[in-house]
Amino acid sequence: MADKKELTAREKKLLRQMYWRSFTLYSAVTPAKQGASGFEYTMMPFINEFYDDEEEKKQAMVRHNSYFNSNLALVPFIMGVTASMEKENSETEDFNTDSINAIKTSLMGPLAGIGDSVFWGVLKAIAAGVAIGLAKSGNILAPIVFLLIFNVPVQLIRWYSGKMGYTLGSTYISQLYENGLINILTKAASTIGLMMVGAMTSQMVKLDIKWNMVVAGKKVLETQNVLDQIFKGLLPLLITLGCFYLIKKKNVSLNTLIFGIIIISVLASLAGIV
Amino acid sequence: MLYQAIVISLVVFLTVGGQELLGFTQLGRPIVIGPLVGLLLGDVQTGLLLGASLETIFMGVVNIGGAMAAEPGLASALAVTFAINMGGGLGVALPIAIPLGIIGVEVKTLIYVLVVGPFAGVFDRLAANGQQKKYTGLHFGLWTLQWFLYSLIPFFAILVGSKATQNATNMIPDTIINGLSVAGNLLPAVGMAMLMKILWENNISVYYFLGFLIVAYFKVPLIAVAVMAIVIGVVSAQNDFRMHKIEKKAEERAAVVTTGSSTSGEAESNDEQENDDFFS
Repeated sequence: MADKKELTAREKKLLRQMYWRSFTLYSAVTPAKQGASGFEYTMMPFINEFYDDEEEKKQAMVRHNSYFNSNLALVPFIMGVTASMEKENSETEDFNTDSINAIKTSLMGPLAGIGDSVFWGVLKAIAAGVAIGLAKSGNILAPIVFLLIFNVPVQLIRWYSGKMGYTLGSTYISQLYENGLINILTKAASTIGLMMVGAMTSQMVKLDIKWNMVVAGKKVLETQNVLDQIFKGLLPLLITLGCFYLIKKKNVSLNTLIFGIIIISVLASLAGIV
Repeated sequence: MLYQAIVISLVVFLTVGGQELLGFTQLGRPIVIGPLVGLLLGDVQTGLLLGASLETIFMGVVNIGGAMAAEPGLASALAVTFAINMGGGLGVALPIAIPLGIIGVEVKTLIYVLVVGPFAGVFDRLAANGQQKKYTGLHFGLWTLQWFLYSLIPFFAILVGSKATQNATNMIPDTIINGLSVAGNLLPAVGMAMLMKILWENNISVYYFLGFLIVAYFKVPLIAVAVMAIVIGVVSAQNDFRMHKIEKKAEERAAVVTTGSSTSGEAESNDEQENDDFFS
């Protein structure tokens, strides 16, 4: 981390292009190579800048037209690292070009894992949770608040991590792993996310039992009242945990669960329970 | 009807398609599409409410590794349109939204495999020849083509389907509509379960119950829970970091110690490890 280089004006421009172009990563996803065309499109300015020889340009084009799939928020980091390696390759004689795709491939998996839990699990959940609350009270700003809460952090991370990837190069990520910082950050993010999901479970999953025990025209048991006295939101909590169990341990598909819930709800409604 | 069909398919094109061009900006979520459709059809409040409800239902439907279980964008655009046309609420929107979400993802997969897929070879050839302009053209051309095709679904669904859906929905008895509303309130459980699958670890699972408890008993708004959660996250990260430092120091010290003198409990396993290394 010590040899932090100053960026030239030219390089700054290239990084700006990288930021904008990387938005289109999944514009033309193919089953075989996923985001390859988006990655290639993003690398083009770097390729044209670093290589003069047409043959070398073609080789670099082929190199980046390979399978790529990761988490969109952290992709600029990988692109930055890749670009810095392309630069190195253009400057050194016997650079092993295989290492470029090796680094790309080794980064995309772990970063997708971290990115999915941080951005889908935490940030998206917080943004949606807040916006849903606003929307239910009729606040017209809800969609804008949703987009801002999600996108301001994501775009900052996209911009700065891309720059960081380029200036620090491929050694940086291995240092992060060695420091054990990644694990600590992931755990903290998961903690935040899990607490939010618990809060949202309570706020969004709702069930009222209408069925009461009636003896000789008198209510002897108000089911919902009794349930509330035991623990508020007991049934929604148990249902959510049940869904989680089925997804995690039994690999039940999402659509099966959705239809299961709809069918059971309709049957329960016909029976007068809910 | 034609106006609606054009406007709604444009919405789908620009939000669901647009979020692929503007990666990861969440334009195609129900909470955005609902109010937008509402605005264009002159009933923002219904759009807002349905957008919020559909967002909770599709909460866990997230695009991880390109695999999705449903496509919430198309589902929301059409469900909100029909619900506004019929003056109905979630009971009307839900039976439309769920099957459409699944149809949407199937059509999307078809386009992805049959329309875009075959161009992989063309990309390879253009890259090998270094034809950057053509490569870029194909990159954007395929985006336009696939989302144009996808937008044809809402176009024809509204042109053809409006009357039919209306008739069908009017025939549904009240108890079933009630059952569907109940399902609408329970379906977020599936979304939550999907998120828990990403986040759950046994040693931090207590925080899930803490979050639930705070809202169930104290009715704290979500934004406040978020801040509390961040505080807890920061504190626990600081703790972990301190522990990590201590462990590291213990490791370093252990590396210096030459004989097997016993040290404090937590560094013991590291100690032994280091000593073994030292003697080998």
